[in-house]
Amino acid sequence: MSVQTTQRRGGGYLERPAPSGLADVIEIILDKGIVIDAYVRVSLVGIELLTIDARIVIASVDTYLRFAEATNRLDLYEKGGKDLSEFVGDLQEGGAAKKTSGAVKGVKKAITGGSDEDDDDEGRRPAKKSSTRRRRTEDA
Amino acid sequence: MAAADDSERVEQPAETGLWVYGVVRAAADRVPADLVGIDGAAVRAVEHGEIAAVVAEIALERPPGRRADLVAHGEVLDRLMRTDVVVPVRFGSVLAEPASVVEDLLEPNADYFASLLDELSGRTQYNLRATYHEPVVLAEVVEADPDIAELSARTRDLPEDSAYGDRVRLGELVSRAMDDKRDQDSASLLEAILPWVAAHAVRAAGGLDHLLDVALLVDDDRRGDFEEQLENLAESVHERIRLRLVGPVAPYDFVGDA
Repeated sequence: MSVQTTQRRGGGYLERPAPSGLADVIEIILDKGIVIDAYVRVSLVGIELLTIDARIVIASVDTYLRFAEATNRLDLYEKGGKDLSEFVGDLQEGGAAKKTSGAVKGVKKAITGGSDEDDDDEGRRPAKKSSTRRRRTEDA
Repeated sequence: MAAADDSERVEQPAETGLWVYGVVRAAADRVPADLVGIDGAAVRAVEHGEIAAVVAEIALERPPGRRADLVAHGEVLDRLMRTDVVVPVRFGSVLAEPASVVEDLLEPNADYFASLLDELSGRTQYNLRATYHEPVVLAEVVEADPDIAELSARTRDLPEDSAYGDRVRLGELVSRAMDDKRDQDSASLLEAILPWVAAHAVRAAGGLDHLLDVALLVDDDRRGDFEEQLENLAESVHERIRLRLVGPVAPYDFVGDA
């Protein structure tokens, strides 16, 4: 039924979820399978909406800002012993470039509510973070 | 209730169509007797020679009920897949009546369906998703590129609404670096996997941590080896990459268009 039975075999690194969640079902089914010619099909109320909603294009600037935020959340100070002084000598580069090409991603937010994708990374960060740098966005 | 005087509308039955789930080889008992589809409608086969369409009635005017419909569609194909090969038909395909199922779908495509069923017979689809451990890979990106490191150092402690240009520039550089990394890593993942599969189809996907989404068609007699190979692969890349394998599922990605 709707219980996620993740079985781990062998080394246990390969995740094997039972495809029971809605997000998985959407992934597996939507836009897949034989297409029957439109002229012989009968239209069904509400179905078209679902297939259209499934693809949303995110503006690339938004994507870039998310990348920037994710990068700046890293704990480089603790990790590689990198220090701000390494970088301050080289500050002349301007921030004028705002290209908006490329990086178009398809998502299925409209149906999943965006709930399935991003929720489990934060909790698994290495434990050695200092609490002052911690910028959690998730605990709501 | 015989005496209704405005009975013209009442006598007209609710309009229904036939939802098509998939195409199978025609055989007695091919469709389990207890199989129900969307709205609990009984699922049955409409046969034409060697092949049959698996259908169920559906009201044309009905609330969309999308989630339950998707799940029901998937469950019918799951059941059909367990006993023999099935060609999935795209979600939302409805034909008017049994005659149309034969004349518009099965008859004109009979040879195509027959050869597709042969091709898919004894094979199973899996869906593999590879995602990055985002912090690990972003750290690689920052360490590899002084420009990125410098921009990050400059913007990370500023308020979110300042240095907008720098942030966009930083994100753009990171995004490009991730694209390059993704190209290399997905190529080497595929290189490790493809010897074990009969066919593959890369699927579109997105997300910051996205690496590779691919549908894999695997011969049934190699499934053990294939799963073991993926298990080993997952172990060898686990510090940077997570592998998630869903399946077996019906061969949704290997049927082309009718």
